[in-house]
Amino acid sequence: MPSVEENPLESLENVKTHALLPFLHQQSATALSRLYTSPSSCLSIFRLLTPVERQIVMNILWLESAIPLSTMAAWVTIDGKKLYERSLETLSQLHILSQYPMKLLLNSTFKSSLRHAITGGGTTGSFGVPATKDPKHSPPTVESLDGYALERWETILHYMVSSGTGQLPTKPSTGVLYLLKESGLMSGSQNFEPQITSEGFQFLLHSPHDQLWELLLQYLHMVERRSMDLVEVISFLLMLSTMELGREYSTENLSQTQKVMLEDLRDYGLIWQRRPSSKRFSPTRLATTLTSSSEGSSLSTLAPTQATGLGNSSSNALTRSKGTGAGIGGGAAGGGAGSGNQQGFIILETNYRVYAYTDNPLQTAVLNLFVSLKYRFPNLVVGSITRESVKKALNNGISSEQIISYLLTHAHPQMRKFNPMIPVTVQDQIRLWELEKNRLKSDSGFLYTSFQSQADYEYVLNYAKELGVVLWENNAKRCFFAHEEGHGNIKSFIERRRTAGQGQ
Amino acid sequence: MRAIKGVLLTCDAAVKQILLIMNEQQSFIIEDLDDHHLVIKADEEYRIRRQLETELEKNTYTLES
Repeated sequence: MPSVEENPLESLENVKTHALLPFLHQQSATALSRLYTSPSSCLSIFRLLTPVERQIVMNILWLESAIPLSTMAAWVTIDGKKLYERSLETLSQLHILSQYPMKLLLNSTFKSSLRHAITGGGTTGSFGVPATKDPKHSPPTVESLDGYALERWETILHYMVSSGTGQLPTKPSTGVLYLLKESGLMSGSQNFEPQITSEGFQFLLHSPHDQLWELLLQYLHMVERRSMDLVEVISFLLMLSTMELGREYSTENLSQTQKVMLEDLRDYGLIWQRRPSSKRFSPTRLATTLTSSSEGSSLSTLAPTQATGLGNSSSNALTRSKGTGAGIGGGAAGGGAGSGNQQGFIILETNYRVYAYTDNPLQTAVLNLFVSLKYRFPNLVVGSITRESVKKALNNGISSEQIISYLLTHAHPQMRKFNPMIPVTVQDQIRLWELEKNRLKSDSGFLYTSFQSQADYEYVLNYAKELGVVLWENNAKRCFFAHEEGHGNIKSFIERRRTAGQGQ
Repeated sequence: MRAIKGVLLTCDAAVKQILLIMNEQQSFIIEDLDDHHLVIKADEEYRIRRQLETELEKNTYTLES
């Protein structure tokens, strides 16, 4: 149970909940129990839960009758109590626990579906119906699927990153453009080319898995406006996440809504189809990893990064064969190439120099957001972090923390030997540059002066303080400054007082 | 009693001095509250920010360019 071991407790508490779960919390109980009729959805949601929550579900999965809370609680140590209760809370919000807080019992639909998912049997089709072998074409290889997904996904990101720079990269489909605008990641009207917003810039620095889910959540929000059935959409996404990479599935069993989704998901690179009218589809790695390992260390190896690894490893091989031509300490390129070439590629030195081992135009473009790039080689980009480049990023709405966390997550394995990983000088300087930008803080509002008496002044001031709008006050001068929001209230308050005064 | 519409600027003492000098060229300050606070005309804020930035920029030096 939750607190068997002492040490992992803290790390367990810090596990962040998956982005989909808060969205599911908002759904009604009926919608959720419709969702739970599909075994694949249950299994996927189960995978999204935190370890403690999974533990609880597993413990009571095979029980037929409810058990009293105290029975389960007896297993929990004092340290784990908070964590345990929070887990129960989450489970009941998801309507997985049906009688909480009286007793512990799994939602009957969820229970039978998850049992089906684990033991097999039951209605087929929940995990997708494999298509019969096509005599004319062989199914797509894993490599070609990876390539396709990567190309689709990077088209979207690359389009975002280079909007406003004057370059014209390939445009993603109109569906994607619409989604980007709706989600506020890009702005723009019909006549103008869409421009990336500050949220968009922040989006670019997130991990690929988060990015994917951010867009999909946005997609879910749009679903109702397009009068699609939300439950079917979610269960289709979850179904995709349980499918097998490199296998073809038949579209026969899909509902009308889900067939419409095929087209959208093809645009995002989650699904591959030979022809738009094809009767079969293959999920790509983006789709099959949707719900896998939502926590901790494995995050960075998820979908696109993994695929990018293909590109990176070849570039690293290049580095090795050519030696470290760039002239940074020999170990950097050679040593790091073996192990973690799938994730880290950035080396940052104390003199603000940045060496990025990448041949990926997207990663280069993202770096270009806050690094002033100097040289470019087939496998290496060199630049430096300067006041100007950071200022440009800050003006675009990227915060210093985001820059630092991007550098952290993409640090070259060689960098990971240092503690702290990012040189303190650089970190501090980036933060200082941000502070420098905020030397002037402004709030619009009203200055209230020339009160007739101290009592008058204090009376109005107290009222304004109750509203919580006072930004500055000075007793000696008998004046105070209040935020715009409060002006209407303060004005009518004074008028009321004045008329009351005249009445006497 | 009077209520004056404006923008409250909160800044450090150095920036305030620069603002005071800028005010001599083209007046925009409604009320000088204390060392760290000023009330200025609302529609001047953008111009002031731009002008202050160029002013502060003069005090920074880079190795580049």
